[in-house]
Amino acid sequence: MGGSKRKTHISSNIKDVQAYMKERVGVGISYDLEFRELVLLKRKVQLYFLNGQVSDLVAIEIIKKLVSINDEESNQKKLFEIVENRLANLSVEHTNTMDEAVNQMLSGLIIVFVDGEKKAFIVDVRDYPGRQPEEPDTERVIRGSRDGFTENVIINTALTRRRIRDARLRHEMLSVGERSKTDVCLCYIKDIANDEMIELTKDKIRSIEIDGITMADKALEEFIIENKWNPFPLVRYTERPDVAANHLFEGHLLLIVDTSPSVIILPTTYFDHLEHAEEYRQSPAVGTFIRWSRLLAVFASLFLLPLWLLFSMEPTLLPKTLSFIGPNEEGTIPVAVQIILAVLGVEFVRMAAVHTPTPLATALGLIAAVVIGQIAIDVGMFSPEVILYIAISTIGVYVTPSYELSVANKLLKLLLIIITALFGVPGFLIGLLLSTLFLVNMNSLRTPYLWPFIPFNAGAMLKFIFRIPVPFSEGRPSIVYPKDTISQEVKN
Amino acid sequence: MVTEKNNEQDYQKSSISVLGKALINGFFGGIFWSIIGVVMYYFNFAEIAPKTFLLRSWTKAQWTTGWLGEVVSIFMVGVLSILVAVIYYGLFKKINSMWIGVVYGLIVWGIVFYILEPIFSTVPELTEFNQDTIVSTICLFILYGLFIGYSISFDYYEMLIRLQQKKKT
Repeated sequence: MGGSKRKTHISSNIKDVQAYMKERVGVGISYDLEFRELVLLKRKVQLYFLNGQVSDLVAIEIIKKLVSINDEESNQKKLFEIVENRLANLSVEHTNTMDEAVNQMLSGLIIVFVDGEKKAFIVDVRDYPGRQPEEPDTERVIRGSRDGFTENVIINTALTRRRIRDARLRHEMLSVGERSKTDVCLCYIKDIANDEMIELTKDKIRSIEIDGITMADKALEEFIIENKWNPFPLVRYTERPDVAANHLFEGHLLLIVDTSPSVIILPTTYFDHLEHAEEYRQSPAVGTFIRWSRLLAVFASLFLLPLWLLFSMEPTLLPKTLSFIGPNEEGTIPVAVQIILAVLGVEFVRMAAVHTPTPLATALGLIAAVVIGQIAIDVGMFSPEVILYIAISTIGVYVTPSYELSVANKLLKLLLIIITALFGVPGFLIGLLLSTLFLVNMNSLRTPYLWPFIPFNAGAMLKFIFRIPVPFSEGRPSIVYPKDTISQEVKN
Repeated sequence: MVTEKNNEQDYQKSSISVLGKALINGFFGGIFWSIIGVVMYYFNFAEIAPKTFLLRSWTKAQWTTGWLGEVVSIFMVGVLSILVAVIYYGLFKKINSMWIGVVYGLIVWGIVFYILEPIFSTVPELTEFNQDTIVSTICLFILYGLFIGYSISFDYYEMLIRLQQKKKT
């Protein structure tokens, strides 16, 4: 957008407009740019639009209406007003610069130039190619709504708006990318969300100067967070409108990026990534049980392998009652190497499963589980216990509700295994200490990452450990600094 | 003048609530990290448990060897940690950094294992511990200090932000 400072105004001579469109935008060269010229009351009227993003039926209707001007009207001087009246559409706007007209046309609107006028119409008849809302694959629930975000930002905002019919809900459109001009929608509830946080986010988005963000939300995330190399997810993604709406009520901000079905929730903590919609669809007691089981699984995915490695290296650590733990026969390959090889092997299988077409996936699973696992033991390469603990730890990885967190945990686990293998008990303990300090030191938009554990917040921690019944939870999380801290009065 | 007085009152009210939170932080911090301490003792990462300090030094009664001894000593650490939290509140609450908590944990470790060591008859001198015990207890106390210290500093910082927000509206 080189002309952002010097804007080209629309010329009253339609030939200039035509030349501009041909030279700058490539009408006649790019096949998806359509151009239609009409003569209305002996004045030329030109329509420009993109053929894939405009609803054909509506475009034909508009042209029919315009042509009928010739039969029904006669006041040539008032053509501009007549055309405006005849554009029977919900959204018609004016512009007097070529730049805006072209930008709007490239996002799928029809622009109408009238000879002799310094203004043009922008008619919204967008009809993007896309899919209908369907249940997101990564966040299934047994009960609950089955709609999910799509790649279309307009459908997405409609899905949250349907859940929050509040006049104070704001959907602010920003544009990112000098060339791609991707729409980014910042959503928040005005009297709940913290103003500084909103401004901070907007500033960060406005300061982005890049050609385009084809990896949509992920690229945007990397611009917003400070710690670019950090493996842990500092924002949360969701494809569920109910989860998104719930976070809006709590005072979080949402970023919806056009062309991506995942919505960014800001700011988030480690513990946000361990929650799942399922817990809120079941009774509080069941929800609490589900959450505890999940925590146990995530804990196992992180610490089971390093701990077992430690015990197999130094069996004297084990109390008498647990002394059966540890490999009976060591085998030729050191246990630490066995574990690392097996972790990598599981990673291979996972990657292969992502690319394998569904009909072949069963065969892949069979090969991975039965053949490799069994034969590796028979040959004497792996001890059976390694396979057992790898399996439990891998299931723990898949139980983690946030995919991003599960991958980061995997890295942390590998690091702990290596440091334990090298330095034994002190290595394991210092590794734990350093990783905890690292997590505590992290910030997501000035929010401490391990909150409410460190720094401790008794109320919020209680709310995390127990799934509190909805009628009893009155506050919003203090960490988003909401302007309005009470979500409801609790009646006793 | 009136608003200034109001601000002063607001500040006092809020800092009382921060002190209250500090007591809670101290208590839960003591309970949680002494449970971790017991687990470390169980898995032989450390040769000593909270009860070695707080119970076994005074009494050799039979019940102190079982789980009751652990529970009572965990509770005692919780109560003592309230004192630790109050001292932090008095000295460092205005420094909003996690590292001051880490340093505080190290100081508490030094006090418990070096200066107070002669009080506890069952706790051997520092030089007699094995390496694992020293590393594990230092790690534990760093996290303990971090938990209590950072929580208090952060509560105080949060309160200041909230007061600012209130002033604006």
